[in-house]
Amino acid sequence: MSDCIRLEYDVDGDNFSSAGHASESVKRTLKQMGVSAASVRRVAIAMYEGEINMVIHAHGGKAIAEIYPERIDITLQDSGPGIADIDLAMKAGYSTASENIRSLGFGAGMGLPNMKKYSDEMKIDSTVGVGTTVYLKIGF
Amino acid sequence: MNVREFAQKAGYAVFSEGEDREIESGYCGDFLSNIISRAPDSCAWLTVMNNVNVAAVATLIDCACIILCEGVAPDDALAARAKMQSVWLLGAKGNVYEEAKRVAALCGV
Repeated sequence: MSDCIRLEYDVDGDNFSSAGHASESVKRTLKQMGVSAASVRRVAIAMYEGEINMVIHAHGGKAIAEIYPERIDITLQDSGPGIADIDLAMKAGYSTASENIRSLGFGAGMGLPNMKKYSDEMKIDSTVGVGTTVYLKIGF
Repeated sequence: MNVREFAQKAGYAVFSEGEDREIESGYCGDFLSNIISRAPDSCAWLTVMNNVNVAAVATLIDCACIILCEGVAPDDALAARAKMQSVWLLGAKGNVYEEAKRVAALCGV
């Protein structure tokens, strides 16, 4: 564990303008560490989608990044409504976002599919009424 | 062609400036999740979407510039964030199709 850098962020659920701060901060850190541009982009996208999901659906949450020399582990944890049908939520184009959210450019139903696309491993633990935790592993 | 020269030749409004880099391709879209997964690096991103998340997405995809089409002017939050993040934010009068043609003609992409 000694060679792991741990970064933790509170994602503000009522503030769209702060969404993206965690992923931008991680992106900067990885760039400084000399991680390849392609890997940095994968991490930033997966993490940004996770942040946005927490803002749209769960009134915010926590984003934790643990950076190892060869990979990053990301944990996105919220106490939102939970996901009733994870297989359905993973389908590209499926979204429960409101019209208001869509008018901001979100809600295309690509959030979770994008997170999967850019990760090497993805796991979702969700309980309706309790919350959702998404675990991502991305190798460099 | 670099962004500064392109903005001048195209007669675009400049709402925010960034690094003067080359426009290597283009991408049109308003759904942010599509853009972050599909827009190529160093592209000119043409959109009519006007909110603060546009600047965050532009940073993520590392585009050369954002072109707000159809005379859209950025709201205060977007303009402020674009400046803070040193992202080129340009304004064009034509629709996305017309402006994409202009990018293609001037930049050869």
